[in-house]
Amino acid sequence: MGKYLLRRILQMIPVVIGTTLLIYALVFALPGDPVAAMFGDKPINQSVAAQIRSEYNLDKPFIVQYLIFLKNALTLNFGETFSHQPVIDVMGRAFPVTIKLAIMAFIFEAIFGVVFGIISGLKRGKWYDSVILVVSLLLISVPTFVFGFVLQYFVGVKWGLLPVTAGSNPGFFDLLMPASVLGSVSMAYIIRLTRSEVSSNMTEDYVRTARAKGMSSKSVTMRHILRNSMIPVVTYLGTDIGALMGGAMVTERIFNINGIGNTLYQGILRGEGPLVVSIVTVLVLVFVICNLVVDMLYAVLDPRIRYA
Amino acid sequence: MTNNDTVANGAVKKESSTSPLLEVKHLDVEFTTDTGHAVKAVQDSSFTVYPGQWVAIVGESGSGKSTSAMSVLGLLPGTGKVTGGSIKLHGEELVGKSQKDYEKLRGTEMGLVPQDPMSNLNPVWRIGTQVKEALTANNMDVSREKRSSLSKSLSNAEVELKKSDDELFISSAEREGLLAAAKKALEAAHVARLDQKMENFSETWVAGSQTRWLVAQDLVKAGLDDDTAWGIAKEHVTGSSMDDRISGLLSEAGLPEASTRARQFPHEFSGGMRQRALIAIGLASRPDLLIADEPTSALDVTVQKKILDHLRTLTDSLGTAVLFITHDLGLAAERAQHIVVMYHGRVVESGPSLEVLQHPQHPYTKRLVNAAPSLASQRIISAKQRGEDADELDKLMEHHAKGEDILERGEHIITVDHLTREFKLPRKKEMFKAVDDVSFSVKRGTTLAIVGESGSGKSTVANMVLRLLQPTSGTVTYEGEDISTFQGAKLLDFRKHVQPVFQNPYGSLDPMYSIYRSIEEPLRIHKIGDRKSRIARVRELLDMVELPESVMGRYPNELSGGQRQRIAIARAMALDPDVIIADEAVSALDVLVQDEVLRLLNDLQAERGLSYLFITHDLAVVRQIADEVVVMQNGRLVEHATTDEVFDHPQMQYTRDLLDAIPGGKLQLGLD
Repeated sequence: MGKYLLRRILQMIPVVIGTTLLIYALVFALPGDPVAAMFGDKPINQSVAAQIRSEYNLDKPFIVQYLIFLKNALTLNFGETFSHQPVIDVMGRAFPVTIKLAIMAFIFEAIFGVVFGIISGLKRGKWYDSVILVVSLLLISVPTFVFGFVLQYFVGVKWGLLPVTAGSNPGFFDLLMPASVLGSVSMAYIIRLTRSEVSSNMTEDYVRTARAKGMSSKSVTMRHILRNSMIPVVTYLGTDIGALMGGAMVTERIFNINGIGNTLYQGILRGEGPLVVSIVTVLVLVFVICNLVVDMLYAVLDPRIRYA
Repeated sequence: MTNNDTVANGAVKKESSTSPLLEVKHLDVEFTTDTGHAVKAVQDSSFTVYPGQWVAIVGESGSGKSTSAMSVLGLLPGTGKVTGGSIKLHGEELVGKSQKDYEKLRGTEMGLVPQDPMSNLNPVWRIGTQVKEALTANNMDVSREKRSSLSKSLSNAEVELKKSDDELFISSAEREGLLAAAKKALEAAHVARLDQKMENFSETWVAGSQTRWLVAQDLVKAGLDDDTAWGIAKEHVTGSSMDDRISGLLSEAGLPEASTRARQFPHEFSGGMRQRALIAIGLASRPDLLIADEPTSALDVTVQKKILDHLRTLTDSLGTAVLFITHDLGLAAERAQHIVVMYHGRVVESGPSLEVLQHPQHPYTKRLVNAAPSLASQRIISAKQRGEDADELDKLMEHHAKGEDILERGEHIITVDHLTREFKLPRKKEMFKAVDDVSFSVKRGTTLAIVGESGSGKSTVANMVLRLLQPTSGTVTYEGEDISTFQGAKLLDFRKHVQPVFQNPYGSLDPMYSIYRSIEEPLRIHKIGDRKSRIARVRELLDMVELPESVMGRYPNELSGGQRQRIAIARAMALDPDVIIADEAVSALDVLVQDEVLRLLNDLQAERGLSYLFITHDLAVVRQIADEVVVMQNGRLVEHATTDEVFDHPQMQYTRDLLDAIPGGKLQLGLD
């Protein structure tokens, strides 16, 4: 187990280097000159432009820029934005908001996804199973932004039940609607996954054996059907944490939340290499660590899995 | 064992005059299809089980035997429903009972030992936990034995019994003290052969399984006076804990080192061990009726024999009646006192075992008796030898010509010489020898069978002969040439002439390929013929394996196991091979289907001069198909002789064990 963990952690190094390099190259390849864009409508002063370029190392070849970034990043110096704010401060402001949002979305999708999925799976073919199935299909097929705007209009604007936008320092109620929008698609997938797991586990031979032992149907359901059904669901939930944080971009735009998604969006628009790459690197780390935790959890949930 | 037998026989005689334990009358069971049609799975079936009796229901798959058993338990799958008749347990009607009421009966009144040990234990719970569930679900008192009503009535009659405290189990904590006290008392009484007696005690006094009065009885038998014996037993046997009881149950079911094993997970168990755990679960709450649904059909014959012997001893000593479901008439006749034969959902015959076996009345029973692999005594005679072929003489001439040809090309088509294969085991330095110095050769136009239990290395040999696996040392020669030297076109040619048929007809056909595509694939790979001629060839092949042309457009999941295995054979025959390597090719099939497939293989051999390397664990099948037999054990070749010799004069003890393990091997048949 220890050996396996060490190997997995070592494997993370090339993954992080590879992804940052790729993102850096993509930002570098973006059309347009970010320095020229900073002057806006004013004529470009060549000497000032050159100064800015050398300040942000934009005059150096791509690979040198990347290596400088990497070297600084190792000492947690992610550089500055074009407005002379340290990138680490910007991330420090944006990440807590997104983390809050992602955790709320996660709790939302985990609870409702699993509960509806179990009901659906146990009562397959009944009317509420059909209703749940149709709703989950709708959530999967309608794009998040459509669902977000519709909810925003009715719940926020028309009925005034919840705040329309979240603002700068959002609280629980400010994030309630964005979080449910963010978690809705995953919730629909979890419903479907749980449902199919539950209904296929119900017909397993060991469930029949358990019933033949004289166990009550309640404990058969809890100990044999649900326990086994949760293995893939937990796996899915684990990997979804990373996806929620990265996927917050659309939701954060709709509800005007100053989280990671919004900051990343602004950074891409302005062609700010260090900012974009820094944020993406952190997201990649979250992804990779979530995956590792899920793999570890898998062995706890399923005794057949052993690491070598 | 003999003691138990007499108890059981006594029980049967005594109880048969009294009321039946289970009485099924005119049972009808229906399943509803997706389109709303009702399919009758069981119709008008009746059978009766008396306390302590073994009753076998025999029939092929789909005959309704499992369905009948499951309706007794109230565990019919899916849309299954009892639509008529009655099921009475202890005279109480079960049909129409709610699931809640059934929950009270299951476990305590009726237990189940299911068919497939691989899928019947939940992979995520420890074995001990799953045994514990059976105990807690029925609120079993784990500190003392619960006797079945039969066993109670017997012991009341024969031994003066018993305050309920006398049924307390030894606990693991007290066991050492008990043994020490017993030793001291025996020493004081100057009993002879003390060591041997102590050894017996430590073997039989299993915590959680042996009761106080049995301990006292043992001590009295060993030579202590009644008072001392009971004194020791009362002082040191005061009831077991849950963990003791779990390991006690597991060791009763024949699992060694039960307390360690209880902490393991199902995947760490072999099939036989899992089946033992399932037996422990089925008997945990001491039911009066145990339903054993093909409890050993997924296991090797030798394991099968051990487990059934054990189950027999155990149920006899507990006074449990067993409803034994099987497709093997030989097995049924050997194990049960009473046989019920089912066919297409109906009971077609029922009676005492020997009666049914020796004087079968119904034509289906006669067929079953004929087909039972364990009862067949001779190699199948091919269609040609049966004289069904019209151009017998012509063919015979042809055969002669072929014979001369054969002489020129050498007698042995495949020779295996000092073949060894080693595997690396995880976390172990030394290599594991899966195949150890095996040599034999297959004569042209004959069948050589490799027999052995699972793990004996027989499939590894097959894979090396097919060149799917490289030997560590030794050679395989085909037509006198070392197959490891084959490359390119030569290898393709070898692949064309040596074809495999694998065990699992479900797994060896691609579910996404139509039957036509599956059979045509080898022709396409070897670039034989054009589209039109290939269609003609596939037609011909289907005809050869006696399947209608119409199956060409169908998919594997629409065919039965036997039909799929025929398809696999047709595919193997597509390239006109010289040699067919059949790896457990009929093991997964029903006896009747198995019989048909074996006949087909036999006829093909006679027609085409094919050579077979036939790998199987079932000696009964060997007798039907093989000319020569190679017996393997732990990777080594232990015996090599002609089939008749092996069956009539087995040289090695291991071969004799295998022969003894064939169910019903010693039964006498009287066919009309």
